[in-house]
Amino acid sequence: METAELIKRLAADAPTVRRLPTPWLRAMFWLAIALPYVAAVVRGKLMMVDPSQTLADPRFMVEQAASFATALTAAFAAFGSVVPGFDRRLLLLPLGPLALWIASVGQGCLQDWLQFGADGLAIRPDWDCLPSATIIGIIPAIAMVVMLRKGAPLHPRMTLTLGALAVAAISNFGMQFFHFRDASIMMLFWHLGNVAVLSTLAAWIARYVLGWRHARAAR
Amino acid sequence: MHERSEQDGRLTALMRLGQDGDRGAYAAVLSEVAALSRQMVRRRFAFLQPQDIEDLVQDVLLSVHAARSTYDPGRPFLPWLTAIARNRMADGARRYARRAANEVVSDRLPETFPGEETNTLVDRYGDSEALAQAMADLPPGQRQAIELVKLRELSLKEASAVSGMSVGALKVAVHRGIAALRRALTGRC
Repeated sequence: METAELIKRLAADAPTVRRLPTPWLRAMFWLAIALPYVAAVVRGKLMMVDPSQTLADPRFMVEQAASFATALTAAFAAFGSVVPGFDRRLLLLPLGPLALWIASVGQGCLQDWLQFGADGLAIRPDWDCLPSATIIGIIPAIAMVVMLRKGAPLHPRMTLTLGALAVAAISNFGMQFFHFRDASIMMLFWHLGNVAVLSTLAAWIARYVLGWRHARAAR
Repeated sequence: MHERSEQDGRLTALMRLGQDGDRGAYAAVLSEVAALSRQMVRRRFAFLQPQDIEDLVQDVLLSVHAARSTYDPGRPFLPWLTAIARNRMADGARRYARRAANEVVSDRLPETFPGEETNTLVDRYGDSEALAQAMADLPPGQRQAIELVKLRELSLKEASAVSGMSVGALKVAVHRGIAALRRALTGRC
Protein backbone atom coordinates (compact mmCIF):
# COMPACT_ATOMS: atom_id res chain seq x y z
CA MET A 1 0.00 0.00 0.00
CA GLU A 2 1.19 3.52 -0.77
CA THR A 3 2.03 5.70 2.25
CA ALA A 4 -0.44 8.42 1.10
CA GLU A 5 -3.22 5.83 0.93
CA LEU A 6 -2.34 4.58 4.42
CA ILE A 7 -2.50 8.14 5.81
CA LYS A 8 -5.91 8.60 4.18
CA ARG A 9 -7.22 5.38 5.74
CA LEU A 10 -5.78 6.12 9.21
CA ALA A 11 -7.24 9.63 9.18
CA ALA A 12 -10.64 8.26 8.14
CA ASP A 13 -10.49 5.82 11.09
CA ALA A 14 -9.65 8.39 13.77
CA PRO A 15 -12.51 9.15 16.10
CA THR A 16 -11.99 11.30 19.20
CA VAL A 17 -9.59 9.57 21.61
CA ARG A 18 -9.55 9.83 25.38
CA ARG A 19 -6.10 11.02 26.36
CA LEU A 20 -4.38 8.85 28.93
CA PRO A 21 -4.01 10.60 32.29
CA THR A 22 -0.49 11.24 33.61
CA PRO A 23 1.45 8.24 34.98
CA TRP A 24 0.99 9.47 38.58
CA LEU A 25 -2.77 9.67 38.14
CA ARG A 26 -2.86 6.25 36.53
CA ALA A 27 -0.77 4.82 39.40
CA MET A 28 -3.28 6.31 41.85
CA PHE A 29 -6.15 4.90 39.85
CA TRP A 30 -4.53 1.45 39.90
CA LEU A 31 -4.05 1.72 43.66
CA ALA A 32 -7.70 2.71 43.96
CA ILE A 33 -8.57 -0.65 42.38
CA ALA A 34 -5.87 -2.75 44.07
CA LEU A 35 -6.03 -1.42 47.65
CA PRO A 36 -9.72 -2.08 48.43
CA TYR A 37 -9.37 -5.57 47.01
CA VAL A 38 -6.19 -6.27 49.04
CA ALA A 39 -7.93 -4.81 52.12
CA ALA A 40 -10.90 -7.15 51.58
CA VAL A 41 -8.60 -10.20 51.38
CA VAL A 42 -6.65 -9.04 54.45
CA ARG A 43 -9.85 -8.43 56.38
CA GLY A 44 -10.89 -12.02 55.82
CA LYS A 45 -7.54 -13.28 57.09
CA LEU A 46 -7.28 -10.93 60.07
CA MET A 47 -10.13 -12.74 61.72
CA MET A 48 -7.64 -15.56 62.25
CA VAL A 49 -4.75 -13.49 63.71
CA ASP A 50 -4.46 -10.55 66.08
CA PRO A 51 -2.47 -7.76 64.37
CA SER A 52 -2.39 -5.37 67.36
CA GLN A 53 1.16 -6.35 68.42
CA THR A 54 2.62 -6.17 64.95
CA LEU A 55 1.09 -2.76 64.29
CA ALA A 56 3.09 -1.39 67.25
CA ASP A 57 6.38 -2.76 65.86
CA PRO A 58 8.49 0.00 64.20
CA ARG A 59 10.16 -2.50 61.84
CA PHE A 60 6.75 -3.59 60.66
CA MET A 61 5.88 0.02 59.88
CA VAL A 62 9.16 0.60 57.99
CA GLU A 63 8.70 -2.57 55.96
CA GLN A 64 5.11 -1.74 55.17
CA ALA A 65 5.96 1.82 54.18
CA ALA A 66 8.80 0.59 51.95
CA SER A 67 6.61 -2.10 50.39
CA PHE A 68 3.80 0.38 49.70
CA ALA A 69 6.20 2.97 48.29
CA THR A 70 7.72 0.29 46.05
CA ALA A 71 4.25 -0.56 44.73
CA LEU A 72 3.40 3.08 44.10
CA THR A 73 6.69 4.04 42.44
CA ALA A 74 6.86 0.82 40.39
CA ALA A 75 3.29 1.42 39.15
CA PHE A 76 4.20 5.02 38.29
CA ALA A 77 7.33 3.88 36.42
CA ALA A 78 5.40 1.12 34.61
CA PHE A 79 2.72 3.57 33.44
CA GLY A 80 5.39 6.12 32.54
CA SER A 81 7.27 3.57 30.44
CA VAL A 82 4.30 3.25 28.05
CA VAL A 83 4.33 6.99 27.32
CA PRO A 84 6.69 7.88 24.44
CA GLY A 85 9.21 10.54 25.45
CA PHE A 86 8.89 9.77 29.19
CA ASP A 87 12.14 10.51 31.05
CA ARG A 88 13.72 7.05 31.37
CA ARG A 89 15.66 8.05 34.49
CA LEU A 90 12.33 7.99 36.34
CA LEU A 91 12.12 4.25 35.67
CA LEU A 92 14.75 3.85 38.41
CA LEU A 93 12.47 5.46 40.99
CA PRO A 94 11.27 2.17 42.60
CA LEU A 95 14.87 1.17 43.34
CA GLY A 96 14.99 3.45 46.42
CA PRO A 97 12.00 2.01 48.32
CA LEU A 98 12.87 -1.49 47.08
CA ALA A 99 16.37 -1.14 48.57
CA LEU A 100 14.85 0.08 51.86
CA TRP A 101 12.45 -2.86 51.86
CA ILE A 102 15.25 -5.40 51.23
CA ALA A 103 17.47 -3.68 53.82
CA SER A 104 14.72 -3.80 56.43
CA VAL A 105 14.08 -7.50 55.86
CA GLY A 106 17.85 -8.07 55.82
CA GLN A 107 18.18 -6.32 59.17
CA GLY A 108 15.47 -8.61 60.54
CA CYS A 109 17.45 -11.63 59.32
CA LEU A 110 20.56 -10.30 61.07
CA GLN A 111 18.65 -9.79 64.34
CA ASP A 112 17.19 -13.31 64.12
CA TRP A 113 20.67 -14.72 63.52
CA LEU A 114 22.14 -12.85 66.49
CA GLN A 115 19.26 -13.94 68.72
CA PHE A 116 18.69 -17.55 67.62
CA GLY A 117 21.88 -18.48 65.75
CA ALA A 118 21.57 -20.75 62.71
CA ASP A 119 18.01 -21.71 63.71
CA GLY A 120 16.94 -18.13 63.10
CA LEU A 121 17.95 -18.47 59.44
CA ALA A 122 16.26 -21.81 58.74
CA ILE A 123 14.06 -21.75 55.64
CA ARG A 124 10.96 -23.90 55.85
CA PRO A 125 8.55 -24.64 53.04
CA ASP A 126 5.47 -22.47 53.42
CA TRP A 127 3.10 -23.75 50.76
CA ASP A 128 0.05 -22.74 52.81
CA CYS A 129 0.93 -19.17 51.94
CA LEU A 130 0.78 -19.80 48.18
CA PRO A 131 -3.03 -19.66 47.73
CA SER A 132 -3.20 -16.39 49.71
CA ALA A 133 -0.37 -14.91 47.65
CA THR A 134 -2.14 -15.89 44.42
CA ILE A 135 -5.57 -14.64 45.51
CA ILE A 136 -4.29 -11.33 46.84
CA GLY A 137 -2.34 -10.54 43.66
CA ILE A 138 -4.85 -11.57 41.02
CA ILE A 139 -7.01 -8.42 40.72
CA PRO A 140 -4.06 -5.98 40.98
CA ALA A 141 -2.29 -8.01 38.27
CA ILE A 142 -5.27 -8.04 35.91
CA ALA A 143 -5.85 -4.30 36.43
CA MET A 144 -2.16 -3.62 35.81
CA VAL A 145 -2.03 -5.57 32.52
CA VAL A 146 -5.27 -4.04 31.23
CA MET A 147 -4.02 -0.53 32.02
CA LEU A 148 -0.55 -1.11 30.57
CA ARG A 149 -2.02 -2.39 27.30
CA LYS A 150 -3.60 1.03 26.74
CA GLY A 151 -0.16 2.60 26.38
CA ALA A 152 2.62 2.36 23.79
CA PRO A 153 4.67 -0.85 24.25
CA LEU A 154 8.06 0.76 23.76
CA HIS A 155 9.93 -1.39 26.30
CA PRO A 156 7.67 -4.40 26.97
CA ARG A 157 10.14 -6.22 29.25
CA MET A 158 10.92 -3.22 31.41
CA THR A 159 7.23 -2.25 31.56
CA LEU A 160 5.96 -5.65 32.60
CA THR A 161 8.82 -6.18 35.07
CA LEU A 162 7.92 -2.90 36.76
CA GLY A 163 4.23 -3.83 36.68
CA ALA A 164 4.99 -7.21 38.27
CA LEU A 165 7.10 -5.47 40.93
CA ALA A 166 4.17 -3.17 41.75
CA VAL A 167 1.76 -6.13 41.99
CA ALA A 168 4.15 -8.20 44.12
CA ALA A 169 4.83 -5.23 46.41
CA ILE A 170 1.14 -4.42 46.99
CA SER A 171 0.43 -8.14 47.56
CA ASN A 172 3.26 -8.28 50.09
CA PHE A 173 1.91 -5.13 51.75
CA GLY A 174 -1.37 -6.93 52.36
CA MET A 175 0.12 -10.29 53.30
CA GLN A 176 2.37 -8.73 55.91
CA PHE A 177 -0.70 -8.04 58.04
CA PHE A 178 -1.15 -11.73 58.66
CA HIS A 179 2.42 -12.98 58.06
CA PHE A 180 4.55 -10.46 59.91
CA ARG A 181 5.39 -12.72 62.79
CA ASP A 182 7.16 -15.14 60.43
CA ALA A 183 10.98 -15.20 60.65
CA SER A 184 12.67 -12.53 58.52
CA ILE A 185 14.51 -15.14 56.49
CA MET A 186 11.13 -16.52 55.48
CA MET A 187 10.11 -13.03 54.36
CA LEU A 188 13.33 -12.66 52.43
CA PHE A 189 13.06 -16.04 50.79
CA TRP A 190 9.32 -16.32 50.12
CA HIS A 191 8.08 -12.74 49.77
CA LEU A 192 11.07 -11.13 48.07
CA GLY A 193 11.70 -14.39 46.22
CA ASN A 194 8.16 -14.12 44.93
CA VAL A 195 8.90 -10.58 43.75
CA ALA A 196 12.00 -11.79 41.90
CA VAL A 197 10.22 -14.77 40.30
CA LEU A 198 7.19 -12.71 39.26
CA SER A 199 9.34 -9.97 37.76
CA THR A 200 11.51 -12.45 35.87
CA LEU A 201 8.47 -14.31 34.57
CA ALA A 202 6.89 -11.03 33.51
CA ALA A 203 10.02 -10.04 31.59
CA TRP A 204 9.99 -13.43 29.88
CA ILE A 205 6.39 -13.25 28.63
CA ALA A 206 6.39 -9.49 28.04
CA ARG A 207 6.46 -9.62 24.25
CA TYR A 208 3.37 -11.84 24.20
CA VAL A 209 1.41 -9.69 26.65
CA LEU A 210 2.48 -6.26 25.42
CA GLY A 211 3.51 -5.39 21.90
CA TRP A 212 2.47 -3.33 18.89
CA ARG A 213 -0.65 -5.10 17.65
CA HIS A 214 -0.12 -4.11 14.00
CA ALA A 215 3.45 -5.48 14.13
CA ARG A 216 2.24 -8.77 15.61
CA ALA A 217 -0.45 -9.05 12.94
CA ALA A 218 2.15 -8.49 10.20
CA ARG A 219 4.42 -11.31 11.45
CA MET B 1 16.30 25.76 16.34
CA HIS B 2 13.54 28.36 16.06
CA GLU B 3 12.18 26.55 13.00
CA ARG B 4 12.06 23.30 14.91
CA SER B 5 10.13 24.78 17.82
CA GLU B 6 7.74 26.39 15.34
CA GLN B 7 7.21 23.02 13.70
CA ASP B 8 6.73 21.43 17.12
CA GLY B 9 4.12 24.03 18.06
CA ARG B 10 2.24 23.50 14.79
CA LEU B 11 2.29 19.71 15.17
CA THR B 12 1.20 19.94 18.81
CA ALA B 13 -1.81 22.06 17.84
CA LEU B 14 -2.70 19.75 14.93
CA MET B 15 -2.34 16.64 17.08
CA ARG B 16 -4.58 18.13 19.76
CA LEU B 17 -7.25 18.70 17.08
CA GLY B 18 -6.63 15.21 15.71
CA GLN B 19 -7.16 13.67 19.16
CA ASP B 20 -10.42 15.62 19.38
CA GLY B 21 -11.67 14.00 16.18
CA ASP B 22 -10.62 16.53 13.49
CA ARG B 23 -9.75 14.17 10.63
CA GLY B 24 -8.22 16.87 8.41
CA ALA B 25 -5.82 17.98 11.16
CA TYR B 26 -4.96 14.36 11.89
CA ALA B 27 -4.20 13.67 8.21
CA ALA B 28 -1.93 16.75 8.21
CA VAL B 29 -0.09 15.45 11.31
CA LEU B 30 0.36 12.03 9.74
CA SER B 31 1.71 13.57 6.51
CA GLU B 32 4.32 15.53 8.47
CA VAL B 33 5.08 12.47 10.59
CA ALA B 34 5.67 10.47 7.38
CA ALA B 35 8.07 13.11 6.05
CA LEU B 36 9.94 13.41 9.35
CA SER B 37 10.23 9.68 9.91
CA ARG B 38 11.36 9.18 6.30
CA GLN B 39 14.21 11.62 7.03
CA MET B 40 15.09 9.80 10.25
CA VAL B 41 15.05 6.37 8.59
CA ARG B 42 17.17 7.59 5.66
CA ARG B 43 19.71 9.15 8.02
CA ARG B 44 20.00 6.00 10.10
CA PHE B 45 19.63 3.32 7.41
CA ALA B 46 21.13 4.90 4.32
CA PHE B 47 21.76 1.44 2.83
CA LEU B 48 18.07 0.44 2.74
CA GLN B 49 16.11 0.09 -0.49
CA PRO B 50 13.35 2.71 -1.00
CA GLN B 51 10.59 0.13 -0.43
CA ASP B 52 12.19 -0.95 2.89
CA ILE B 53 12.37 2.71 3.95
CA GLU B 54 8.65 3.12 3.14
CA ASP B 55 7.87 -0.06 5.13
CA LEU B 56 9.52 1.50 8.18
CA VAL B 57 7.78 4.84 7.61
CA GLN B 58 4.42 3.05 7.47
CA ASP B 59 5.31 1.11 10.63
CA VAL B 60 5.95 4.45 12.39
CA LEU B 61 2.61 5.81 11.11
CA LEU B 62 0.69 2.77 12.36
CA SER B 63 2.45 3.01 15.74
CA VAL B 64 1.70 6.74 16.05
CA HIS B 65 -1.93 5.94 15.26
CA ALA B 66 -2.03 3.13 17.84
CA ALA B 67 -0.38 5.29 20.53
CA ARG B 68 -2.16 8.58 19.82
CA SER B 69 -4.01 8.48 23.15
CA THR B 70 -0.66 8.59 25.00
CA TYR B 71 0.19 12.03 23.63
CA ASP B 72 -0.25 14.87 26.11
CA PRO B 73 -0.71 18.18 24.24
CA GLY B 74 0.85 19.93 27.23
CA ARG B 75 4.19 18.42 26.20
CA PRO B 76 6.23 18.89 23.00
CA PHE B 77 5.27 16.67 20.08
CA LEU B 78 8.64 15.92 18.51
CA PRO B 79 10.22 14.04 21.48
CA TRP B 80 7.05 11.91 21.60
CA LEU B 81 7.32 11.14 17.90
CA THR B 82 11.08 10.54 18.08
CA ALA B 83 10.63 7.97 20.87
CA ILE B 84 8.14 6.02 18.75
CA ALA B 85 10.23 6.31 15.57
CA ARG B 86 13.39 5.14 17.37
CA ASN B 87 11.54 2.18 18.82
CA ARG B 88 10.18 1.14 15.41
CA MET B 89 13.58 1.65 13.76
CA ALA B 90 15.25 -0.54 16.38
CA ASP B 91 12.64 -3.25 15.76
CA GLY B 92 13.10 -2.77 12.03
CA ALA B 93 16.86 -3.19 12.39
CA ARG B 94 16.34 -6.44 14.32
CA ARG B 95 13.94 -7.69 11.62
CA TYR B 96 16.41 -6.70 8.90
CA ALA B 97 19.29 -8.49 10.67
CA ARG B 98 17.18 -11.65 11.09
CA ARG B 99 16.18 -11.58 7.42
CA ALA B 100 19.74 -10.87 6.27
CA ALA B 101 21.02 -13.84 8.30
CA ASN B 102 18.67 -16.17 6.40
CA GLU B 103 19.13 -14.80 2.90
CA VAL B 104 22.04 -15.13 0.47
CA VAL B 105 22.62 -12.21 -1.85
CA SER B 106 23.63 -13.38 -5.31
CA ASP B 107 24.50 -11.35 -8.39
CA ARG B 108 23.77 -14.26 -10.70
CA LEU B 109 20.68 -16.39 -10.32
CA PRO B 110 21.50 -20.11 -10.22
CA GLU B 111 20.06 -20.78 -13.70
CA THR B 112 21.32 -24.15 -14.97
CA PHE B 113 19.17 -24.98 -17.97
CA PRO B 114 21.59 -23.70 -20.62
CA GLY B 115 24.71 -24.97 -18.84
CA GLU B 116 26.47 -27.82 -20.67
CA GLU B 117 27.59 -29.49 -17.49
CA THR B 118 23.99 -29.78 -16.29
CA ASN B 119 22.76 -31.29 -19.54
CA THR B 120 24.36 -34.71 -19.22
CA LEU B 121 22.55 -37.97 -18.69
CA VAL B 122 22.86 -38.95 -15.08
CA ASP B 123 21.51 -42.47 -15.51
CA ARG B 124 23.92 -43.66 -18.16
CA TYR B 125 24.22 -47.42 -18.01
CA GLY B 126 27.45 -47.68 -19.91
CA ASP B 127 27.81 -51.13 -21.40
CA SER B 128 24.28 -52.57 -21.85
CA GLU B 129 25.64 -55.97 -22.93
CA ALA B 130 27.64 -56.25 -19.72
CA LEU B 131 24.48 -55.36 -17.79
CA ALA B 132 22.45 -58.06 -19.64
CA GLN B 133 25.25 -60.58 -18.93
CA ALA B 134 25.37 -59.59 -15.25
CA MET B 135 21.59 -59.99 -15.00
CA ALA B 136 21.80 -63.42 -16.63
CA ASP B 137 24.51 -64.44 -14.13
CA LEU B 138 22.30 -63.61 -11.12
CA PRO B 139 20.67 -66.48 -9.20
CA PRO B 140 17.07 -66.96 -10.49
CA GLY B 141 15.42 -65.64 -7.29
CA GLN B 142 17.45 -62.38 -7.31
CA ARG B 143 16.95 -61.94 -11.07
CA GLN B 144 13.19 -62.37 -10.78
CA ALA B 145 13.03 -60.00 -7.79
CA ILE B 146 14.92 -57.26 -9.68
CA GLU B 147 12.83 -57.74 -12.81
CA LEU B 148 9.58 -57.44 -10.89
CA VAL B 149 10.45 -54.67 -8.43
CA LYS B 150 12.98 -52.54 -10.34
CA LEU B 151 12.22 -53.11 -14.05
CA ARG B 152 8.45 -53.68 -14.02
CA GLU B 153 8.14 -51.40 -10.98
CA LEU B 154 5.60 -53.57 -9.18
CA SER B 155 4.98 -52.93 -5.53
CA LEU B 156 6.48 -55.45 -3.09
CA LYS B 157 2.98 -56.79 -2.42
CA GLU B 158 2.24 -57.26 -6.14
CA ALA B 159 5.68 -58.79 -6.79
CA SER B 160 5.08 -61.15 -3.88
CA ALA B 161 1.75 -62.28 -5.41
CA VAL B 162 3.38 -62.85 -8.84
CA SER B 163 6.52 -64.62 -7.62
CA GLY B 164 5.13 -66.43 -4.60
CA MET B 165 8.05 -65.06 -2.51
CA SER B 166 7.34 -63.29 0.77
CA VAL B 167 7.78 -59.49 0.97
CA GLY B 168 10.75 -59.92 3.29
CA ALA B 169 12.41 -62.42 0.95
CA LEU B 170 11.83 -60.07 -2.01
CA LYS B 171 13.50 -57.17 -0.18
CA VAL B 172 16.53 -59.29 0.64
CA ALA B 173 16.71 -60.65 -2.92
CA VAL B 174 16.52 -57.16 -4.45
CA HIS B 175 19.20 -55.84 -2.10
CA ARG B 176 21.55 -58.76 -2.79
CA GLY B 177 20.84 -58.67 -6.55
CA ILE B 178 21.67 -54.94 -6.80
CA ALA B 179 24.87 -55.50 -4.82
CA ALA B 180 25.81 -58.38 -7.14
CA LEU B 181 25.15 -56.25 -10.25
CA ARG B 182 27.25 -53.41 -8.84
CA ARG B 183 30.09 -55.83 -8.17
CA ALA B 184 29.82 -57.32 -11.67
CA LEU B 185 29.74 -53.93 -13.45
CA THR B 186 32.19 -51.85 -11.40
CA GLY B 187 34.22 -54.42 -9.62
CA ARG B 188 33.45 -52.58 -6.34
CA CYS B 189 31.60 -53.95 -3.37
